[in-house]
Amino acid sequence: MKKIPVVRAARGGLSGRRVQAIVIGLVVFASVAAATLALGLLVDSSAPFNHAFAAQRGADVTATVSGASGTQLAATTRLPGVTASAGPFAEASVSVTAQVTPTIHVSSGHEKSTPTTVNQELTLVGRSSPGGPVDDLTLKAGHWPDGPGQVVLSSQAGLPLGVGSQVTVTGLAGSPKLTVVGIATSVTGTAQGWVTPGEIAALHAAGAPQVSQMLYRFSSAATAVAVNKDVAAVTAALPHGSVLGAQSWLDAKAQATGSYAPWVPFIAAFGVIGLVMSVLIVINVVSGAVVAGIRRIGVLKSIGFSPPQVVAAYVLQVAVPAAIGCAAGVTAGNLVAMPMLGQAAQVYGVAGLAVPLWVSVAVPLAMLALVGVTAFVIALRAGRMSAVQAIATGRAPRLERGFFAHRLIGRASRLPRPVTVGLAAPFARPSRSLATLAAIVFGVTAVIFGFGLRTSLDRIQADLSHAASEQVQVLLAGHQGPVLVNGQGSVKVSLAAQERAVQAALRAQPGTHHYVAEASGQLSVLGMSDQLSVVGFDGEASWTGYAMIAGHWYSGTGQVDVNSAFLQDTGTAVGDTYTLTSGGKHTTVQIAGEVFDTAGGQPEMIGSLSTLSAVDSGLTPSEYQVALAPGTNTGSYVNALQSALGKGYLVGVNDSGGTVLPALLGLVAALTLLIAVVAGLGVLNTVVLHTRERVHDLGVFKAIGMTPGQTIAMVVSTVAGTGLAAGLIAIPVGVALHRCVLPVMGKAAQTGLPATVLNVYQAPELILLAVSGLVIAMAGALAPAGWAARTRTATALRAE
Amino acid sequence: MDTLVQLTDVSKQYGIDGLPAVAHLSMEVARGDSVAIMGPSGSGKSTLLNLIAGLDRPTSGAITVGGDRVDTLSETGAARYRRRQVGMIFQFFNLLDDMTVMDNVLLPAQLAGMNDRQARGRADELLAALRIRQHVNAYPARLSGGERQRVAIARALVNRPALLLADEPTGTLDTANGEAIGELLLDLNSSGQTLILVTHNPDLAARYTRRVIEIVDGRVASDACLTGARR
Repeated sequence: MKKIPVVRAARGGLSGRRVQAIVIGLVVFASVAAATLALGLLVDSSAPFNHAFAAQRGADVTATVSGASGTQLAATTRLPGVTASAGPFAEASVSVTAQVTPTIHVSSGHEKSTPTTVNQELTLVGRSSPGGPVDDLTLKAGHWPDGPGQVVLSSQAGLPLGVGSQVTVTGLAGSPKLTVVGIATSVTGTAQGWVTPGEIAALHAAGAPQVSQMLYRFSSAATAVAVNKDVAAVTAALPHGSVLGAQSWLDAKAQATGSYAPWVPFIAAFGVIGLVMSVLIVINVVSGAVVAGIRRIGVLKSIGFSPPQVVAAYVLQVAVPAAIGCAAGVTAGNLVAMPMLGQAAQVYGVAGLAVPLWVSVAVPLAMLALVGVTAFVIALRAGRMSAVQAIATGRAPRLERGFFAHRLIGRASRLPRPVTVGLAAPFARPSRSLATLAAIVFGVTAVIFGFGLRTSLDRIQADLSHAASEQVQVLLAGHQGPVLVNGQGSVKVSLAAQERAVQAALRAQPGTHHYVAEASGQLSVLGMSDQLSVVGFDGEASWTGYAMIAGHWYSGTGQVDVNSAFLQDTGTAVGDTYTLTSGGKHTTVQIAGEVFDTAGGQPEMIGSLSTLSAVDSGLTPSEYQVALAPGTNTGSYVNALQSALGKGYLVGVNDSGGTVLPALLGLVAALTLLIAVVAGLGVLNTVVLHTRERVHDLGVFKAIGMTPGQTIAMVVSTVAGTGLAAGLIAIPVGVALHRCVLPVMGKAAQTGLPATVLNVYQAPELILLAVSGLVIAMAGALAPAGWAARTRTATALRAE
Repeated sequence: MDTLVQLTDVSKQYGIDGLPAVAHLSMEVARGDSVAIMGPSGSGKSTLLNLIAGLDRPTSGAITVGGDRVDTLSETGAARYRRRQVGMIFQFFNLLDDMTVMDNVLLPAQLAGMNDRQARGRADELLAALRIRQHVNAYPARLSGGERQRVAIARALVNRPALLLADEPTGTLDTANGEAIGELLLDLNSSGQTLILVTHNPDLAARYTRRVIEIVDGRVASDACLTGARR
C-alpha cells in the first residue's frame, strides 16, 4: 500500500476539518486526563498505604536507642538484611503550649471560635533535611528548618497549627519558642515534629538521657514475625538495654487501613464513573467524526484510493489529533492528580500518593487504541462501500428519522419556533443522541451523588464528633491526680472534690446549658473477643448528640445503647437483653438502641454510670461534657471556665475542624467538577457534529430571516431537551448510587448508618440538581452555537 | 419613479488579491418592476442578488432597499430585513427536508413572530393559490421539482415581502415546469410584486420580465427595457 497518498489524504482531511480535529483532540485530552486521574485514584485506593509507603521509602522499623555509640549504630546498618538505613537522628520529648483557634461545627456550617491554649507532648527529631534513603518526608507546606527556633510539625501531630504559628516549649529554662516553618508527613509517623540537629541539643532537658532514632528498611519485613526477627537482630548488635523501643511499619499500616477503608468505596465510585464516561465519549466523538466523512471517503475512492488506503487515511486523520490529545491529557491528568491525590492522601492518612507510572503509560495507549479501533471499524464499513454508494450515503436526504418528532414538537406553539426546531433535532440521530444522553446522565449522576455524599459526610462528622451538642469538655485529673493550686506545687485532690469544683464552676459560668459527667473504660467481657468500650453518664445525657441507628436512647437503670460492632460481635439485636460478665461480676442489661459511634472499630456500650459500674467498679467520671446556650462564644467560655477552674483542670473545645473532612469534601467537589466538564465536552462534540452536518440548513434558516439570537437558541435547544431528560434520569441513578455506596462505606467502617446520613435528598434539591443536566448541555453547546450564529449566510448556503 | 432598490457604486471583493465579483455597480429598481439579471457564469449575478438580500456585505458602496441601508445592517438587522422586505427563491429550492410543506412555508412567519392562526391562514391561502395545497403534509423529498419550487415560492411570499429575489428559479426544472414557474412569477409581478430574477436563460428573461440588466465581470454591461407582451 502506498503511504504518501494516504498521508496526503489524511493531512487534507485534517486541514479541511480543523474544528473537528480540534474537538477530537480536546475530547481525547479531557478523557485521558480524567481516566488517568480516575484510574490513579482507583489503583491508589486499593492499597493507599502500600503505595505511599513505597513512594516515601517508609521505615520498616523505627528504633529509639540510647547509650549506643555512633560506631555501634553504624554497624547495625551493615547487618544482613538491612537494605537501607537513616540516622542516628537525635530525639527529644517536649511539652509545648500553643494558641489555637478551633473550628466549631454549627448547624449553619463552621465558625471560628476565639483562640484557646492547648498543651501537648511532642516527640521532636533533629534532621537536616526531609529526604533520605529511608522515611522520605513529604513537605506539605512551608520549608524545612534552616536555623534556630524553627520547627516543622507533622500533619499527624494533632496540633491544628499552620505555618507561621508559634509553640512554646514548657519545662525548659527560658521556655524557648519555636516557629512553625513547615508541615510534613511521615508515612509511618516517625516523629511529631522536626528541628535542625543543633536545635535538639537546646531542647534536651537537663539530666535526661540522650536518645536517638534509627530508621531501617529490611529485605524481609512483610510480616510481624519477620519484623520481630529484624528488630531482634538490631537489638543483639547493640549494647544491652540500648534499644528503648521499636515501632513496626505494620502498626502504622493497620492504623491507616482502618482509617481509610470507609473512603475507598466513594472514590472507587467516582473512578468508575470517570473511566466509563471517558470511554463512551471517545467512542462517540470518533465514530461521529468518521461518519461525517463518509462522503469524502467516496470521493477518495472515486479518484483511485483503494479501500485499505481509505481506511488508513481516516484512521490516521483521527489518530493524529487523538495522539496529541493523549500526550497532553496524560500530562494534565498527572498535574490535576497531584492536588487531588494529596487530598486523597490526607483522607487516607498516608504521606503521599502519586499516579503509578504504569497508569500514565497504559491510559493514553489504551485510549489511542480505542480511537484507532473505533475509527477502523467505521472507516472499514465505508471503505467497503462502492464510491457511488459512499458519496450517496454521505449526501443523501436524511432517512425519515425524526420527522414525526419535528411535526409533533413543532405543534408546541407556545415555544419559539427556533427552540422547537432544536428540540426535535436529536431524534434525527438517535444513536448519537443516546450517547450524548448517557454522557450527561453520568455527569449529573456525579453531581447528585457528590452532593449527597457531601451532605452525608458533613452529618457523619457532626454525629461522630458530637461537636454540635458537646461543645466543651472539662478533663478531670482522676482519682488522686495532681492539681496545681495557686500556681505552686501540686496537691492531691479527691475525685469527689474535683467533681464538686467542676460542677460549681459550670453552674456559675454564664452560657452553660447542659453538663454531664462521663466515665469511660475498657472491659474484658466473657464471650467477647474484643475489649468492650464502656461509656457511662452520671446524669441525664440524651442531649449529648449520639445519632440513633435504631431504637432509642437508654432511659434509666438497666437499659443501655450499643454500637453496630457490639451487635455484630455478640449477635444481638435492639430489644434483646444481654448479660455482661467481667471480673467475676455480672449484670443484665436491655439493649434500648443502636448508636452511630464507630469507637475505633471496637464494640461499645453506653449507659448510666450506675448500670455499668455494676460490672466495673473502677468506672469513674474522667471528664464533663458541656453544652452551651445558643449564642455563647465557645472560645470566650473556655477561657473563662479555665480561668475559674485553674490549671489543674483542662478545659477544651470539642474541635470538629479536622483536616480529613475538608480534604474529603475537596476531593468530592473536584471529582464531580471533572466529570461534569468531561460530560460537557461530550455535548460540545455532538453539537459541533450537528451544526457541521446541518450548515446548509443553517444557511437556509438565516436566509429566510433567523437572527443570530434565534440561531443560538436553536442550536442550544438541540441538546437542551437531552440535558433535561438526562437530569431526570440521573435523579434515581444518583440517589441509588448514594444508597449503595454509603452502606458499603459504613460496612468498611464496621458500623451501620443512621437514617439522617442516608436520607439526605429533598425533592426541591433533587430537581435543582437535575437541572445541572441542562446546565452541562447548555455549557457544551454555547461555543458551537456562537459559531453557528456568526457563520455568514452566503457561506453556509454554499456548503453541501 | 418609486425606487425600491438602489445600489450605488457597489463592489464586492473576496480576498485581498482576488478579482472583484461585483465592481462599482450602480442600479435602481422601481417598485413593481420585474428585472432579469443576466450574464455568463462567474459574472457576479448571484453575488449581486446576495448583496441585495443582505446575505453578504459589499466591500464598498451603498445598498438601499425601501429607503433603508442594507449594507450597514448587523447580522440581526439583516435577518429582520429579510423577514420583512425580502422573499428568496433558490435554484435548488433550499427546502428543509425534515419539515412538511406546511411547516416549510410557515417558517418565515414563525420566525417573524406572526400569530399561529394568522400564519396558517396565510400559508393555506398561498398553497391554494399555487395549487399545491394537496401536498400540505408531504415532505419535500416526495415532491417533483416544480412542486418543490412552488413550495419555495409560497415560503418566500408568506410575510408579504416588498421584494422577491429569485436565483435561477427554473435552473433545475424541465421545460414544462420551468414555464409554469415563469408564468407564476409573471402573475405575481402583474399583481404588483417587485421581482429581481437572476438567470442565464434569455428566453426566460424575455418572457417573464420587463427589463434586463446584463452583468459582465461584475459590471453592468447593458440595461435594457423590454417592450410588449411576453405571453
